[in-house]
Amino acid sequence: MPLIALVGLVVALTVADPDFLTLRSLTAVSRTAAPLIVLAAGATLIVLCGGIDLSIAALASLSTVLLALWLPDLGGLATPVVIAVAAAIGAVQGLAHVLLRIPSFIVTLGGMSILSAVALVVSGAGTVRVVDDSTVKWLELYVAGYVPMSAAMALLVVALIAAVVKATPLHSWISATGYSESAARLAGTPVDLVKIGAFCVSGACAGFAAVMLVSRQFSGGPTMADNLLLPAVAAIVVGGTAITGGHGSLWRSLAGALVVTLLRVGLPIVGVPSAYEQILYGVIIVVAVALTLDWSKVSIIK
Amino acid sequence: MSVPAEREPATSAPVPALEVRGLVKHYPGVKALDGVDLVVRQHEVLGLAGENGAGKSTLLKALVGLVTPDAGEIYVRGGAVKLRSVVEAANHGIGMVFQEQSLVPNLTAAENILLGSEGAAVRRGVYRWDVMRRLAQEQLDKIGSKIDPLARTDTLSFADRQMVEIAKVLRIEQRSQHPPVIILDEPTSVLESKEIDTLFAQIRRLREFASVVFVSHRLDEVLDVCDRVTVLRGGQSVGEVATAGAVPRELHRMMIGSTGSDDHYHENAAEPVEAEQPRLSVRGLSGKSFRDIDLDVAAGEIVAIVGVHGSGREDVCRALFGIEPTSAGEIRMDGKKISLPNTRAACAAGIGYVPAERKIEGMVGPMSVAENMTLTKQKARCAGPFVVPKKQAGLVDRWIERLSIRTPTRDTAIQRLSGGNQQKVVLARWLIGGDIRLLLLDHPTRGLDIGARSEVYRLMRELAASGVATVLLADSLEEAIGMADRILVMNDGRVATEVGCPSGGKPSPLDLVKEMV
Repeated sequence: MPLIALVGLVVALTVADPDFLTLRSLTAVSRTAAPLIVLAAGATLIVLCGGIDLSIAALASLSTVLLALWLPDLGGLATPVVIAVAAAIGAVQGLAHVLLRIPSFIVTLGGMSILSAVALVVSGAGTVRVVDDSTVKWLELYVAGYVPMSAAMALLVVALIAAVVKATPLHSWISATGYSESAARLAGTPVDLVKIGAFCVSGACAGFAAVMLVSRQFSGGPTMADNLLLPAVAAIVVGGTAITGGHGSLWRSLAGALVVTLLRVGLPIVGVPSAYEQILYGVIIVVAVALTLDWSKVSIIK
Repeated sequence: MSVPAEREPATSAPVPALEVRGLVKHYPGVKALDGVDLVVRQHEVLGLAGENGAGKSTLLKALVGLVTPDAGEIYVRGGAVKLRSVVEAANHGIGMVFQEQSLVPNLTAAENILLGSEGAAVRRGVYRWDVMRRLAQEQLDKIGSKIDPLARTDTLSFADRQMVEIAKVLRIEQRSQHPPVIILDEPTSVLESKEIDTLFAQIRRLREFASVVFVSHRLDEVLDVCDRVTVLRGGQSVGEVATAGAVPRELHRMMIGSTGSDDHYHENAAEPVEAEQPRLSVRGLSGKSFRDIDLDVAAGEIVAIVGVHGSGREDVCRALFGIEPTSAGEIRMDGKKISLPNTRAACAAGIGYVPAERKIEGMVGPMSVAENMTLTKQKARCAGPFVVPKKQAGLVDRWIERLSIRTPTRDTAIQRLSGGNQQKVVLARWLIGGDIRLLLLDHPTRGLDIGARSEVYRLMRELAASGVATVLLADSLEEAIGMADRILVMNDGRVATEVGCPSGGKPSPLDLVKEMV
């Protein structure tokens, strides 16, 4: 289904603007999509567990600031350190969710607010320029001459997480947690660990998305990734992952992220001002959830 | 709508208040109702008896429009009706007091009584408290209750809340101009004996101006308060008895059916238990709803815990699986002291749990048979951290065959199987590791038909023979007596007594009931 939407969009955009289907614009699209794909991939794990992570964009913004601040001192180490810190912040939110028994929606809503404020304070409420970007510039290279490194890395992240989940009992643990947490718990699956792990990976993904953003913009900013929250959630639901948990996959979110990016790129092509973008995301999320909900109902009754 | 069809000649009996003919209802894999007939006369209290799974609750739901039957007719005062919702049922004068109370706790009794049928108590969208109070008082007067209509519902006792429910249900008199039919679904299950007396007085009062359908699985109650009893078994009405002069034993035989006598519980497969060191040994276990529980279960032994609702037996069972917290006491497995802070610890100790709510807690409906079966034990299907698909498939297929689970494939979603096969998958979950030492079975046959029950019983015998210790919370006293080697009677959070229950020396249900209440 998301694949059909994807192909349909490419065709429609090509009709609207014959220049669209060029190597140049495709590379541009895939490069734009890369951070979104990574963000959505991490958050998909949490949605599969039946929760949601609203803090990913704010965490990514904070991570761009931290990376920009730490690059001069840490150099090449800055990237792994930032990802590790982001993962730790994710895990803390997961712990709060599990131990305090607060809905993930509330924990990450609070987290979003806190992390945004921390980013503002740490950055002095302004953009932090990166003077020497030699250690993050590799993401701007091309694989085999054409494929942007960032897009390849995004693909790699999705493939890696998806493969680990698929090949281990994590697959059934995550689905069981998402479909029916009480049944999963009574079957003796490590529900709490699975959830904390999902938050941790989601945090790490936000950190990695931040590295991509910094490498492209040569700076970090306290609100740099904030406008990615809605697209990321849209990517997950457009991909067909059930917002109620259990049903879905990371690959679906990858396709969803490409759809969302194409829509974003395509709006100006068909003459819609980009100010309308947010309306589009809002509509997409509601419609996509309505569609996926209906589907899962049908499959349960049958 | 409820235009009565041609009245019967005056010489014969008056038209029944409610009549059901040939009602059929299928659920996937189960025929819940298989042609039920039922007659409720005017101004009588009709008892509805039957074991769990006999179709009582489905029938009641059909009578109040919550379930649409596949076939069959419902007649109200002689006229055929279609009941598509609770409101339509109420328009025909049929109302039900639900087993789980349906009152809103933070509203007053008056508000609850008038909820959904405010009538004159609301004018132009605004509550008129004085009218509401008066209308509610009228309802309470009908049943002679002294409850203050302006008391908050959550400050009332359980029995008083039930009175509020009855007063609420009687509002349907406003909708139809005829004497109503009031259905009481297991109204006594959470009441104390004194409260039950009050309720029964109330039911006799109701008879003056209504017909009552009284549902209980306790035969003594049915015989006490009802004029007539209809017995359901396997979705059919198997008998109708006037309570005057009826013998409990006879009714009971009708409920269980003749199949019950033919070694339904596979007693000939029961093996004597060798007394040695107990597998499970619990001393002084206390928690929120139970105190000082001592319990020993030997390998190969089936110990049933019986008790009324609120006796704490479910919580004891859940405490043994690390779900319910405990405040004192110790638990030993094969002599070794263990602590059970969570379900993981219990699994690691070789304890398995089959929850009562199979569909919610026992299985993950949309997931496959294979995934549901392998959710717990990883070693059996993995190499290192990785699942080996071939190993998993072989393992699952082996157990599907061994327990003769009827499923199209191992990848079929478990929710598509019948209840009995679902339960076997849930049981298999604990067996595939080969390291199960203690099984906690919480109503393992709930909602299963007789054939499926029998298979679960056979499986329990096999497991016991292989040395698994079993704690059983049975669905009925008969099941407990049939299956157990020993029975613990719990009452109000404590072990009241312990009764030996060997094959050939079974106690009678009445012996146990005495200790339960």
